Amino acid sequence: MRWLRQLFSRRRRYDELSQSIREHLDEKIADLIDRGMTREQAKHAALRAFGNVTLIEERSREVWQWPTLESALADMRFAFRQLLRSPAFTVTAVTTLALGIAVNATMFSLVSAFLLPHLPGRDPQNVLVPTSINPDATFQASANPVSAPNYFLWASDTHLFSEVTAADYRTGSLSGPGQQPEAITYAAVTANYFSVFGAVPELGRAFLAGEDQAGHDHVVILSRGLWERRYGSDPSIVGKTVRFNRQDYVVAGIMPASFRHLGFTPQLWAPIAFTAEDRAPNARKNRFLYVFARLAPGVTLKQAQAQLDVLAEQAQHDFPAIESRWGATIRTLPEFLIYNFGIRQAVTILMAIVGFVLLIACANVAGLLLARAVGRQKELAIRMSLGATGVRMVRQLVTEGLVIALAGGGIGLGLTYLGIRFLRAALTFNEAISAMPVRLDSRVLLFAVAVSLASALLSSVAPAIKASRTTINTDLKNETRSASGRGHNRLRVVLVGGEIAIALFLLIGSGLLIRGVYLIDHQKLGFEHDHLMTAGIGLDQARYPDAAKQEKFVRDLMTQLRQIPGVKGTAVTSDLPASGFNSVTFHIKGQQATRANEQHTTTDVVVTPEFFELIGVPVLSGRGLTDHDDATSPRVVLVNQQFVHKYFPDCDPIGKQIQLDISSLPAAWSEIVGVVGDMKSYSEDTRFEPQVFEAYEQRPVGSFSLMLRTSLDPTSVTPSLRHTTAQLDSELPLLRVMSMDTMIDLNRRGNPLFAQLLTTFAVLALLLSALGIYGLIAYSVGRRTQEIGIRLALGAKASDISRMILRDGFKVSLIGSAIGFVVALPLPKVFASVLEGDLSFSAPFIYPLVLAVMLIVVFCSTAAPASHATRVNPTVALRNE
Amino acid sequence: MHGYALAQRLQSISEDYLQIEEGSLYPALQRMLKAGWLETEMGLSARNRPVRIFRVTKAGRKHLEQELESVKKMFAGFNRVLQLAGRQEA
Repeated sequence: MRWLRQLFSRRRRYDELSQSIREHLDEKIADLIDRGMTREQAKHAALRAFGNVTLIEERSREVWQWPTLESALADMRFAFRQLLRSPAFTVTAVTTLALGIAVNATMFSLVSAFLLPHLPGRDPQNVLVPTSINPDATFQASANPVSAPNYFLWASDTHLFSEVTAADYRTGSLSGPGQQPEAITYAAVTANYFSVFGAVPELGRAFLAGEDQAGHDHVVILSRGLWERRYGSDPSIVGKTVRFNRQDYVVAGIMPASFRHLGFTPQLWAPIAFTAEDRAPNARKNRFLYVFARLAPGVTLKQAQAQLDVLAEQAQHDFPAIESRWGATIRTLPEFLIYNFGIRQAVTILMAIVGFVLLIACANVAGLLLARAVGRQKELAIRMSLGATGVRMVRQLVTEGLVIALAGGGIGLGLTYLGIRFLRAALTFNEAISAMPVRLDSRVLLFAVAVSLASALLSSVAPAIKASRTTINTDLKNETRSASGRGHNRLRVVLVGGEIAIALFLLIGSGLLIRGVYLIDHQKLGFEHDHLMTAGIGLDQARYPDAAKQEKFVRDLMTQLRQIPGVKGTAVTSDLPASGFNSVTFHIKGQQATRANEQHTTTDVVVTPEFFELIGVPVLSGRGLTDHDDATSPRVVLVNQQFVHKYFPDCDPIGKQIQLDISSLPAAWSEIVGVVGDMKSYSEDTRFEPQVFEAYEQRPVGSFSLMLRTSLDPTSVTPSLRHTTAQLDSELPLLRVMSMDTMIDLNRRGNPLFAQLLTTFAVLALLLSALGIYGLIAYSVGRRTQEIGIRLALGAKASDISRMILRDGFKVSLIGSAIGFVVALPLPKVFASVLEGDLSFSAPFIYPLVLAVMLIVVFCSTAAPASHATRVNPTVALRNE
Repeated sequence: MHGYALAQRLQSISEDYLQIEEGSLYPALQRMLKAGWLETEMGLSARNRPVRIFRVTKAGRKHLEQELESVKKMFAGFNRVLQLAGRQEA
């Protein structure tokens, strides 16, 4: 408690101190008078010997203070007063920093939510995700799901993992008497799934050992969200029966809302019951499991990877037909989830851009502070002559920067709050993304504070040090045209040049990215996607065990759907165009069996005959599919132009035989009977892929999509579509009921938002650097008023003056632009290597275009001060002296 | 001893080797007061004026002894090094 006592006794201490010093001087003066000096002489001599009384008193008092804190507070009070005295400067500086801080904090909320996710369970960073490496995939090839035999192999290897679980993420149906059937995402998991994650249900229990065996597997665990929405948070649901996939399941428990894994967050969990077929060698073809594991004690991640490599090599050797070239890799759970989410690159790019925007903002504020420091040279010189040290001056000026940055940070946080609300509203293109808590959490808050402090330092240290080098003599004598004043200006010129370089670099970068995104979003898909309603259906084994039953359902449904008013036509397809077709390998009759690593691959779709006419894809040669192409007639396929181009470049494909490798079907040759126009397999792909179309009647599939051509708004037929389906099967849910255009929008995921954010930030950078160059030129015009006055008085024309000012502006801008231009040259290559997917970034025209925009903006922001300069009245300017 | 007397004493002891501003004593005195090595009371100056006197406390004396000890050790060290250096040069 001594400090408390000291705090209260301080006033007395200070008095005593002044008193002691006074006594000291009095004694000395008395001594000196005794030695024969006059009182006046003695007083001067005593003070000289003593030193600077005020300073010494201050130093002595500081002993009793918490010097840093208290004098910092004093500095802050002073800074506040100083800033209030020049509101225009303060508002500009604070707004600039507020914008810079706000965009950074807003983007960081994405980083916080998606790149640093809070994962549930015990030590989530120790959960590992081994995956297969697909040698043929271009997208996320190293995060391929795993086949059941490989899972069994890994799980039984005690040198690898201590605990292993596998999950199959599927779609299922929830129904019940009087309820609308609902399609849900669920995970079929092994019984130890939750214990591997170290998570427990908040109500009820997890799966018991043995519940993943056939006959015991009719239990489910609900997610908190599903429980709230569908069951009204009724706790008594635990232990009751629900209708799931047309069968009765007992609800064992409810998982807490926090049990989320980004893109792997199902609404319900059910046990997976492996069958003997899953253990057969042929099951290696079906790679559908995601494996989660914890390392065996004493095994490192590296050793585990080495062991996986050994096992993969062994499998390649033992099953060359299936496993050839396939590998395996391992990631930690957070790494895997972030990789799979595929948002890292976009967020990183955005974060880098806002970082640059902040740099520009700081450069602007630094420029403003420099200009102010020049104006305050006299004040500083006086303070230094009164004994203030350089360090002390730096601290004062940095404190001013800090006050500006904190004010900016405060307002910035307000803007961040709005920015995050905007982001939340815009992040609706993906269920997993919109479910993520993007919010102003403690991490974002901390980040905003850190950014504010960093920008305070960035923007104030250089000007402060520069200002503290004030030389007392010259600065007290000279007004504003001192040598150091020119030094300040040189630093400002460098700052503004740098700003322009960064802004140009950002504009070019964003321009390239936006163009890449635009090209994809506006490319021709090759089919008519307007007025098209779609819905997915998954026929389950329980009610539709064989092809005949499935086919009958499809035929009945088609007939009924065509009766709906406003429906002009219908078709069924295994996969919707533009949303991604499956890839298969195939053989061409008459060609030698190809070696494993140069297998022919094509995408493959099963469609009903009306498909092509319905979506406006032309049959270019041969014939289309007909109702006669059914199970009893010879197998036929259509191919697209790209397929012909790739595999039959020199001959007519009609009449040729091909055989598709489809694991669930016996091998059979099919004849190519027609060639159709190209359409995009996936809307975000810039290339056309080879496509093969099979006839639905010849190869019925249980999971397919309906397409309805409508005369009005496609969603207007949704109620009739649901009603008609329910009449045929009341427990069958419709999946992804939406128009084709909505579907394509969903495929674009964040692209429009990404482009929108890029544009916003690039424009912000441009505006800030325009403000920077405006400030620089306006300030230099202000300082050169007298010079301009003299020039005018000596007969210079107004046009000469404005040309002189413009030239100054352009000199800085051109040097800055040149640097930004050169640095931006390798950007297309950088983007192409960093961003996954099929974006094209080479657009040389962006470069001169951006440069032109930049120069126009520079011209506009220099024109105002330049024209102001020509209106200088020589007599007034010279009288100013 | 009061401040002025202290300053004079320092000057005479060091025989004008130490040319210090008299005022610079005061921050040092305040630090020692704060540490509890000194205390103040009212007394009389050589001219019989009432002045504030600084007195060394028990704690202050103890600290002084410790400091002296360590300074002595340091000088002993210096001496040895200097002697050694002198011998090698010779």
